[in-house]
Amino acid sequence: MTSWLRRQRALAEYTLAALARRRIKNTGLLLIYAMVIFVVASATLFATALRKEAEVVLAEAPEVIIQNLVMGRHDLIPGDVIAEIDGIRGVASIKGRLWGYFYDRLNGANYTLMVPLDPAMAPPAGQAIIGESLPRVREMPWETAPLFLSRTPGDLVRFDIAKRLSSDSALVSTDLILLNEANFRAFFELPEDVYTDIALSIRNPREIDTIVEKIGRLLPNARLVTRDEIARTYQKLFSWREGIMVLLAGASVLAFVIFAAEKASGLSAEETREIGILKAIGWDTGDVIAMKLWEGGLVSFGAFLLGTVLAYLHVFAFDAGLFASVLKGWSVIYPDFALTPGIDGLQLTALFFLTVLPYMAATIVPIWRAATADPDQVMR
Amino acid sequence: MISVQSVCKTYNEGRPSALTALDGIDLEIARNALTVFKGPSGSGKTTLLSIISCMARPTSGRVLIDGRMVSGLPERFLTLERRRTFGFVFQRFNLIRGLSVLENVLLPATPLGGERRADAKRALARLEMLGIAGKAGERVEFLSGGEAQRAAIARALINDPPVLIADEPTANLDTELAHRFLDIVSGLRAEGRTVIMTSHDPRIWAADQVDRVVSMRDGRLEENEA
Repeated sequence: MTSWLRRQRALAEYTLAALARRRIKNTGLLLIYAMVIFVVASATLFATALRKEAEVVLAEAPEVIIQNLVMGRHDLIPGDVIAEIDGIRGVASIKGRLWGYFYDRLNGANYTLMVPLDPAMAPPAGQAIIGESLPRVREMPWETAPLFLSRTPGDLVRFDIAKRLSSDSALVSTDLILLNEANFRAFFELPEDVYTDIALSIRNPREIDTIVEKIGRLLPNARLVTRDEIARTYQKLFSWREGIMVLLAGASVLAFVIFAAEKASGLSAEETREIGILKAIGWDTGDVIAMKLWEGGLVSFGAFLLGTVLAYLHVFAFDAGLFASVLKGWSVIYPDFALTPGIDGLQLTALFFLTVLPYMAATIVPIWRAATADPDQVMR
Repeated sequence: MISVQSVCKTYNEGRPSALTALDGIDLEIARNALTVFKGPSGSGKTTLLSIISCMARPTSGRVLIDGRMVSGLPERFLTLERRRTFGFVFQRFNLIRGLSVLENVLLPATPLGGERRADAKRALARLEMLGIAGKAGERVEFLSGGEAQRAAIARALINDPPVLIADEPTANLDTELAHRFLDIVSGLRAEGRTVIMTSHDPRIWAADQVDRVVSMRDGRLEENEA
């Protein structure tokens, strides 16, 4: 065992010296390889972080949302159904929600206007709590500058800013304007006792399906959306976007594998001669292959580490500047938020097998061919 | 010690480009002797040296080392035999560029998994004996012809093989260095080693240190000169 370890160490030392001798070529290879891994790792790290972020946000969301449908479209729901649903056993709380969108003709952005479910969170009359992107897209000149919204030409509604939301919640609050109920109803000219939808919390999560079924019987025209369904939609959305990136990166990986095979099969005359010398002085085919595997392993593992570390920094320190528009979605208002750093071990392992192993596999056959050449070639 | 029996070697056998390099060679090489193969280019000297030193297999015939038949061994065992029995000095020395003299000398010991420090100590002692210990850290491409040859000899001896094989070792050396080489070889013989070499060089054939000259032509032995 000790002898085996010493042999591996000696082979690794020789390999390092061999890599250092062809410094420019190997550095170029390492950088190209690291770049491919960087793209794939950035896409997967970013999409996973977004999914986790969405999971955290959704953990606070109501278990069931009831929406009224008219001709298949989402419509206002009368408040009197609240009392009917509240009577169903297992419903912990039920609240009517008020929210809507406002298209801002000044900059083409859509804002989400909302009344907080907890009345204590609502701003005072004439004031608003705004998401962190609003001052940026509206170019609000100072911290407490009022927000003016115009619904029709000549109309102007003023809201003083009670608070700006922090970027911690930017994934869901970047375009948000929170108003109190009276201001909201007045702004959208809504009658009393209608709501945008109704939010339910359920005592026992295992009873959600049963309660949904009961509400369905009670309100046959309503659409019932559970938290799990929203979570699945988010997952699909991010997976789809990640898929685009991984598909692009996959093409790069394929190109790289072809390049690696080409490189390995076209061993330079110097490398072939070197293998001949090593075999002539007593190395066997296994020693040469082990040395070349060390070489491939050091290059590919080095590139994997470099690519992954760069991707980690890109995603978590520089907000994935290169791919954010694809992965976050297209919008006038981009959420400007920092993702919580995290690494998924399984994902990292998959990335390792998808990037390092193809390189090793692509190079092993040409190396084996060169390593089995007759050592007496070197005598000629 | 080494017995070559009816050895033939044909390259590209069965093809139009087939070439018979050796044609029925019978030869006994004594232990602790300096044997030189001479002959014109294409006479089969290098092929015979390759077959004797387990670098290539004969198409037919047998090679025995100390009574053990080695010519039919599978590649793995042939490599073991080569590693255990032979050290090589090539015509162009075949040192690996970019590595230091010491790293080159250590190459044959690398796959053996020996204690690295002990290997390095042995290598330095060899370089010291050959008078180039001061060049141990220098890259081989900066060595003179004589220094490169001594580095190649040190590399050939690092695993302490009983037989030294040298292919045209003086082809690229001036007279003084050629004599110096023969002195080194005499020293190796004094250590009990067997030396087998090929040479075009009349200075070698005529040297006092040489025990036997074997002449070759067209893949056959012509004569043996004591």
